[in-house]
Amino acid sequence: MSRAVRAPSAPGGHAIKRARPLLGTLVEIGAHGASAQAVDAAIDQAFAAVQAIHELMSYHDPASDVSRLNRAGAGCVTVHPHTWAVLALARDVAEASDGRFDISIAPELVRHGYLPRHAGFAQPAPEANWQHIELLPGDRVRLARTLHLDLGGIAKGYAVDCAIRALRDAGMDAGRVNAGGDLRLFGAAEEAIHVRHPHAATRLLPLCRLSDGAVATSATYYAGRLMDGRAVSPLIDAATRRPCAGGRSVSVLAGRCAVADALTKVVYADPEAALSALRHFGAHAVVLDADSDTPGHCRARASAPGGWHDLALTGPEAIAA
Amino acid sequence: MQHPPAWLIAPALASFVAAPAFAVQYLDIGQAQKLFFPQADSFTAVPLLLTGEQKTFVEKAAGVRMRYARQPVWKVSENGTHLGWVAQDEVYGKHEFITYAVALDAAGAVRGVEILDYRETHGREVRNPNWRAQFNGKTHGAPLRLDNDIQNISGATLSCKHLSEGVRRILALHAAALK
Repeated sequence: MSRAVRAPSAPGGHAIKRARPLLGTLVEIGAHGASAQAVDAAIDQAFAAVQAIHELMSYHDPASDVSRLNRAGAGCVTVHPHTWAVLALARDVAEASDGRFDISIAPELVRHGYLPRHAGFAQPAPEANWQHIELLPGDRVRLARTLHLDLGGIAKGYAVDCAIRALRDAGMDAGRVNAGGDLRLFGAAEEAIHVRHPHAATRLLPLCRLSDGAVATSATYYAGRLMDGRAVSPLIDAATRRPCAGGRSVSVLAGRCAVADALTKVVYADPEAALSALRHFGAHAVVLDADSDTPGHCRARASAPGGWHDLALTGPEAIAA
Repeated sequence: MQHPPAWLIAPALASFVAAPAFAVQYLDIGQAQKLFFPQADSFTAVPLLLTGEQKTFVEKAAGVRMRYARQPVWKVSENGTHLGWVAQDEVYGKHEFITYAVALDAAGAVRGVEILDYRETHGREVRNPNWRAQFNGKTHGAPLRLDNDIQNISGATLSCKHLSEGVRRILALHAAALK
């Protein structure tokens, strides 16, 4: 299979690409299959899969599993198997990162204006964290303490994985799903993946060539806000429970998009400490940081088993003023 | 010792490229209509021109300003039975310019939203009439495309706030003029 997904008139098949507003961003789904009808039907299934995850894991929707858990306070709640699976993966990432990935940071996101304040939620217990979320058989979840969880750091990647599965199940021979930067593809020839300059979103850097895999990027060029005159990002460092500084872009490559999505937060908060978590999941990362010595330039480094190694950027990477 | 995977080609070979504007076309309005209502046999254009009173109603009900009083709308039917409506609309935010279609069923509930085309912009160009003029007459063309690979941008999270507002406005428009 060497045809690219995007080839609009690839011989022997049809390629279609569509987009819908979902997960608070634009979700783009492309696929290649035998007939236009088959591809459209497969894309419909994939959008339905994303929609289902959106409804289960939305912090905003009062009917979601996440809101049910947040309203419940300490106690036991039965959730959808998808929700349980995401909570289980979130636990794995939290354990592998010594708690640098923590889905109980919703109160901090509310405090900084990134999530709405819900009236019906029980008051979170002080010091409550991911370790107080117990996963029990039968898709049950027990909160040992009242806490507020937000799956915003992992559910988007999981939704991408579900959409990819829907495309495969529908018999597509190639597909791509991009949910606002959480991207996974299968079946096609290698494709180039680009990331943005952390300080200038119009500058793109070719990051890698990817086939059959996922990449997720966390950066703050679109999401940063001012709070009391200080720039804050929606990425919370679980170690300090404070927003990370801006000016960094982190891309993680992994087999599953949910893993890549979650690990971007771990790497963003502390690249050095993230190496063991990356190794644990067989993932790789590239970090771009604004170069404090040369305004407008940035430095790049990639993860390797022995540590981070610097990547030389050739050519003019300076930002036009 | 583990080596970096073959698919990770270090950016050492690369440099940043400028992306002045990036555009993708997903569907034209005819394709979107057929996806929303595959069983329909007729899509009749019934473009709306709102009266001042209707415009005020829509703005109040949806809580968003209406830029134009004119709105492209199609009435959808099958064997003479009214199935619903398709409206075409556009929204633009700080970084994006999106044309999209909304399908409403006969009762006025949203049946679906599909993006027709998406243009990413940066800075002030979107508010510049000369910049926007480059799209005139080729609404569904593919302007200013750098190369095919540029579609794989990781980390492009854009808020869909403006799209939600747009859909809310189409719903209010139905209440004002299509009921």
